[in-house]
Amino acid sequence: MTTVRIYVTYKQSVFDPQGEAITNSIHSLGHDEVQSVKVGKFFDVVIDPSKKAVEESVKEISEELLVNFNMETYTYKVLEEK
Amino acid sequence: MKFAVIQFPGSNCDIDLYEALHTVCGADVEYVPSKESSLDGFDAVMLPGGFSYGDYLRAGAIARFTNIMPAIVKMANEGKPVFGTCNGFQILTEAGLLPGALKRNDSLKFVCKTVELEVVNNDTIFTSEYQRGEKINLPIAHADGSFYADEATLKELEDNHQVVFRYSKENPNGSLHDIAGITNKRGNVLGMMPHPERAVEALLGNTDGLRLFKSILDHAEVKA
Repeated sequence: MTTVRIYVTYKQSVFDPQGEAITNSIHSLGHDEVQSVKVGKFFDVVIDPSKKAVEESVKEISEELLVNFNMETYTYKVLEEK
Repeated sequence: MKFAVIQFPGSNCDIDLYEALHTVCGADVEYVPSKESSLDGFDAVMLPGGFSYGDYLRAGAIARFTNIMPAIVKMANEGKPVFGTCNGFQILTEAGLLPGALKRNDSLKFVCKTVELEVVNNDTIFTSEYQRGEKINLPIAHADGSFYADEATLKELEDNHQVVFRYSKENPNGSLHDIAGITNKRGNVLGMMPHPERAVEALLGNTDGLRLFKSILDHAEVKA
């Protein structure tokens, strides 16, 4: 089984109000070194690679469900293969 | 003319929509649970507000997979009136029946109040009873109502007069172009964040939403 972590975030051009609120809070703590924070979500998906190529499976489920391409984008990485 | 009010798990404005049509307008209307797969015999379909499937993943994202969705898409493709308010609007965008998306309000707050809207386009089956440029007041109640679409899509919406309602005094959620409601290109699918069904009787303090339902009924009469 292959465990893949899919990260979904707003596109660069889309205003992320949570990210801005958190950035402001971090600045309140005195962390002026922090320039920005972007909030997203991740999905840990366990895939059986004997049934479908992992890359293809990730692309399909991301594009068909996990990501709304009007406002979001995604990346992923393989966490575990066993 | 027969209306279907779809009930998704987590819908909570279905009764308001039903009563606006049935009690206030005297229209023929029936509840249809989202597990049903047919809308045969119905002339218009209404998607209520609420929190279908708990807003899991994204508001409206899971409702797209219910049994009833293909029948709703079929009605939209046949040119029949399809209306979604609040969560109904979110479902229509997630299902691809309307362009763009609804994201978290800029304020990050759930906003529940009455707002002023401008009727930008009254040349639709949903707004013929209003005047173009008329200012009306309708309640909103949402946390994910900030309309977003890329520049090309916004231009297309404006060029085709698909923007039907705009927030006029204040923008309560950060929607681009102050958009509160849009139609599809053909004009038979309307999605809007405000709740016209909550403003249909003097007893409710506001009747500005009533003419939206009257417009649909008028359209049916003219056609018949």
